[in-house]
Amino acid sequence: MNIVAYSEDPEYIKVASSYFSNEKIVAVSTSDTKYADELHLIDKMDEEAIAKYLASLKPDLLITGSTKRDKVIGAYAAGLLKYPILPDVIDISGNKAKRVVYSGMGIAELEFNTPIVVSISKKNVEAKERQTQKKNVNLEEGKVKKIEVKQKGGEGVDLSSAQIIVSVGRGIGSKENIKFADELARAIGGALGGSRPITADLGWLPEDRQIGLSGLKVKPKVYFALGISGQPQHLAGIKDTKIIVAVNTDKNAPIVENADYIVVGDVIKFCQEMVKKVGKK
Amino acid sequence: MNVVALFKIVPDDTLIKVTGSTLDLNVPAKISTYDKSAIEEAIRIKEKHGGKAIGVTAGNTDRKAIREALAMGLDEVIAIDMKEQDIYSTASMIADQLKQLNPDLVIGSEATTDSSGGIFPAYLAGLLGLPLISYVKSITIEGKKIRAERNLISSTEIVESELPLVISVVGEINTPRIPTVKQILESSKKPVKSVNANVKPLVKLASVSPYVIQRKKIIIDGSKMEEAVDKLLSYLRQEGVIS
Repeated sequence: MNIVAYSEDPEYIKVASSYFSNEKIVAVSTSDTKYADELHLIDKMDEEAIAKYLASLKPDLLITGSTKRDKVIGAYAAGLLKYPILPDVIDISGNKAKRVVYSGMGIAELEFNTPIVVSISKKNVEAKERQTQKKNVNLEEGKVKKIEVKQKGGEGVDLSSAQIIVSVGRGIGSKENIKFADELARAIGGALGGSRPITADLGWLPEDRQIGLSGLKVKPKVYFALGISGQPQHLAGIKDTKIIVAVNTDKNAPIVENADYIVVGDVIKFCQEMVKKVGKK
Repeated sequence: MNVVALFKIVPDDTLIKVTGSTLDLNVPAKISTYDKSAIEEAIRIKEKHGGKAIGVTAGNTDRKAIREALAMGLDEVIAIDMKEQDIYSTASMIADQLKQLNPDLVIGSEATTDSSGGIFPAYLAGLLGLPLISYVKSITIEGKKIRAERNLISSTEIVESELPLVISVVGEINTPRIPTVKQILESSKKPVKSVNANVKPLVKLASVSPYVIQRKKIIIDGSKMEEAVDKLLSYLRQEGVIS
């Protein structure tokens, strides 16, 4: 079987390698990897051009990562090849794959045949390093031209691997109040995140802090949901958290049904009190 | 300028409940949340540049949801009835319709709330051999030229391309309008073209089971916050999640 793995993030190539440890894997990436037999190092991040290159390799199985760009590239390639596609697969065994559906409320089991394109979710895996033959590939440019790229704020904290996350929702009240959550995050060594309204709609936090269905999926040991009502799209991003603590004045908010510990009360007071206690120890 | 808005009719995700070992999907249908932004953007482009805004939906063809899309301002909806669908079969059916419509712009949204794959517009673009701009948070169109701002997680990009093409929009691109009673009444006169699917899915859905993580749901009264925090911290230390 001709397996091609593409991702801008080499962690996904490692996961792909772990699913197919006895098969030859050709990786295509802008980054180096030790988890493929062949690596095609590409010279530019042009989604259409990468998709066309992947399609030209005529894979039986094309595996991509699940970054926003990875998925778009995999889907474009699948469309070009007229292959079926399974996005955000959390597990593959034989010709069966599992993925999360209905905003995190269901798991679908699907049966597939090759050829196919699959985008896989990140997980911690063991994989053996391979002898990787490398070659450089110069891609042609696609029809969409980049005019400007702006990096967004944020302090480069990687929310997707944080062990403690303090996350704020509309219930925090104002942009100024976010500093209380930030102080709490610093005091307990956690990362600060937010719901979609706070990040994408109101802009109280940079958009790269957005947790949920259309933002980041996180899996910390403990997640503090401060003033977050708990819409399904948000819950979909925190499903794999070990312990969820919700702080909310409304004890009927949907988050209450989806949390381990619920402090019914004022979010700001909670932050201040937590900082005192955790700072004291 | 002819614009197509892609939308999907899904079970309302705020009403889906888990009962025992099954997921109760027998709940009212709605237009998937971000797909309303695709419809809204198509209508705005039509209002600004003239031409037609046509909706295309595939899967559940719930009439009430289709009427809502028409009431918002679409001129016409093509409803492809599909009992079983995967991305391949859905895109193939929609591509057939688009070849007849020959639109300047096809607008989808970043993800639906049912399967949430976030890849449909990209797949369709590949299938049609059209360029794609994904995760668009704003667009301007001049003549055949389109300029768009893309929202990626750690960066934003401004890109340019030429029509025709496919774009996927993020929710923050606009606030979808709520139709007036008059618009709802008038929507019943607008045409809906029904199409029966003749492409079979290649991926088989074997089962859907609830994905439930049992949470402890321990309520701590926060009226005396100092005591509440002490209590919470002792729980969290027992759990071994903080030191």
